[in-house]
Amino acid sequence: MRQKERQDNTPPSGGGGETGGGLDRLREQADRFLAAGDEAINRALASSDSETFLRANRQQGGE
Amino acid sequence: MNRLPIPRLPKLCGGDIELGNFVLGLPGRDTGAMASRALLAEIDGLPRQQSVHYTPYAGSWSSYTCGRSKREDGDDPGGGEANASGGWSPQDWGRKFLPANGGCIYIDLDHLELCLPETLSAWDHASAWHAMLRITRQAMDSANARLPEGRSIQVLVNNSDGHGHSYGSHLNFLVTRRAWGNLIRRKPHYLGWLASFQASSIVYTGQGKVGSENGAPEVAFQISQRADYFETLVGTQTTFDRPIVNSRDEALCGGWRWSNDPDAPARLHVIFFDNTLAHLSCVLKVGVMQLALAMIEAERVDPALVLDDPLAALGAFSHDPTLRTRARLAAGGEMTAVELQFRFLEEARRFAAERGFDGFVARAPEILDLWGDTLLRLGAADWPGLAPKLDWVMKLGILQRAMSRRPSLTWDSPAIRHLDQLYASLDPGGLYWAYEQSGFAERLLDEERIQHFCSEPPPDTRAWTRAMLLRRAHPEWVDSVDWDSISFRVRDGGYWPSRRTIAMKNPLGMTQAEVAPLLAAESRFTDVLEALESAGGGAGMERSVQTVN
Repeated sequence: MRQKERQDNTPPSGGGGETGGGLDRLREQADRFLAAGDEAINRALASSDSETFLRANRQQGGE
Repeated sequence: MNRLPIPRLPKLCGGDIELGNFVLGLPGRDTGAMASRALLAEIDGLPRQQSVHYTPYAGSWSSYTCGRSKREDGDDPGGGEANASGGWSPQDWGRKFLPANGGCIYIDLDHLELCLPETLSAWDHASAWHAMLRITRQAMDSANARLPEGRSIQVLVNNSDGHGHSYGSHLNFLVTRRAWGNLIRRKPHYLGWLASFQASSIVYTGQGKVGSENGAPEVAFQISQRADYFETLVGTQTTFDRPIVNSRDEALCGGWRWSNDPDAPARLHVIFFDNTLAHLSCVLKVGVMQLALAMIEAERVDPALVLDDPLAALGAFSHDPTLRTRARLAAGGEMTAVELQFRFLEEARRFAAERGFDGFVARAPEILDLWGDTLLRLGAADWPGLAPKLDWVMKLGILQRAMSRRPSLTWDSPAIRHLDQLYASLDPGGLYWAYEQSGFAERLLDEERIQHFCSEPPPDTRAWTRAMLLRRAHPEWVDSVDWDSISFRVRDGGYWPSRRTIAMKNPLGMTQAEVAPLLAAESRFTDVLEALESAGGGAGMERSVQTVN
C-alpha cells in the first residue's frame, strides 16, 4: 500500500447547481450525513484495534 | 457491399463476485481458507455429496469435508476438499446452487464467491446482488455464533486487502457471437471504444480506496478499487497482468467456446468493475454497460470516442477524485472522464431516439435519465448531492469527516485504512449499512424486490427453472448442476438409477411463463423431467435472436 500525506486531491466541498429549496435539501442531507457518520465512525473505530484488523485481513489475489 | 442483417440479443446479465473474508482474533495465521469454508458451510444449496461442515473446537478450528476425494498435497487447511466434479480445484471448490434463487455460491482461491442468477434488468441484477449479500450475512452470523469469544469472521464487499492482493467482481453479459468476434477478434476500434467507456465509467462505478497498490504512483485516495491492477488492454487472464477487456470465451449456453454462427450466443466476461453497494452505483454499473454492449452489438461504435491510451487514462482518472484530469483521445484533443462519458451518453441518446434499445435493454429510458443526471452532478461538483448515491463519494466524505473530527489522523493512519475497509464490511458495524439505515444512502431498489431474491429466482430467465428443479428433486438425486444443464440420478422403480439431463442452453428460455404450467400439470418429478425433455430443454435461442438491418 502506497500513500501520500494529505495531498490536495479531495473534491471541492461546494455543491453545484442547487438554489433555494435545493440548498435546504442539501443542508438536510449534510446534517444527516454528519449525524450518521459520527456515530458509525466512533463505533467502527472502537470495535477493534485498527492495526490488528489490517494485519488480519490478508487475502489471496483472486478471481 | 451488401450489409447483412445484424443479429441481436437482449442484454441478460449475471455476476460472479468474490468477497474478502478472514478470521479476526487468530493472530499470525492466513485465515481466508477457514473463513470461506465456515461461511460456505452455512449456505443451503445443492449438489453436495457430503455436507460441508466444520467443528470449531474451543480454541482451534477443525475439519471441513466436502466432496469425494482428499486433497493430496497435505496442505489443506480444512481437512480434505474436492469440487462438485470430484477433483480438487482451488478456483472452484464446493459449489452449491441455491434452490432459493437459482444462483450459486462457492470458494475461489479462499474467497467466498457469489454467483448471481441471470437477470434481464439492471434493477433486478442489483436487487439480486443485495439479496445475495443478505444470504451471506446470515451465513456469517450463523458461523460467528459458533465461534469462541474473541473471534469473528469478517466479510468485506471490496476488491483489495490493502496488501497488494485484488479479487474480482465480474459481470457477465449475453451477446451474439458476431458481437463478441467484432469486439475481441476483428475490430480494434470496438475494443478501444469499450475500454475507453469502461475507463471513464469509474466516476460512477468506483467504490473508492485509500492509497495505491501494485506499483502505481502514490495517492491519498483514489476512485477505483481495481484501477491499479489493470496492466493490459485485452486478454484471457484474470489473476495477473489483468486486462481491461477480458476475452475468456465460455458461452455457458450449451456450447463450449466459439462457433462460426453469428447468431450463436456468447458471454462477455467483464472483470473490470468494483464491488459496489450504493444502489445507484449498482444499477448504473450494469445498466449503462447494457446500453454500451447493445450499441456494440448493433455496430454503432464511434471511433472518435476512443482514448489514445485507455490504461494510462484509467490510472490517471482513478487517482484524481477532483475529476479534473484530462486524457488524450486517439483522434486528437483531450477530455476529462466526465466529458467523455457525456459523449457516450449523447451517442446512447441518439440510439435510443431510433428505438435501438427497445427489446434489448430493460428500462433503458430510466437508465439514460439516471446516467445523465449523475454526469450533470459530477460535472457540477455536486458532492453533497452525490454522496448518498455513489460509493466513492460517500466513502471519501466519511473519511474526510473522520479526519476533521480527529486532527491527528492522516491518510496514512491505520484508523483511516481501517475505516476504508469497514465501509464495505457485512458486519453490523459496516459503514455503508450504517448510512443506509440512517436514511442517508439513497435507496433506488425496492426493499420487496431485494427480499424477493432472497427466496425466489428471477421469473424471466432460465434461473427460474433451475431453482424449481432443485426444489422439486430429491436432494440425493441431484447429480450435477451447471448454468446450462442439470443432471439427476433418478430412482424411479428400477434397480439402478437412471441419469437424466435437462439442457438449459438458452438463458432467456425456460422462464416461469414457459415452465410453470408444465410443473403444475405434473405431480411426479420424473414426469416433469420427461415433459421438459420433450419441450426441447430450453433450446431455441433462435426465438430470442432478432435481426436488424
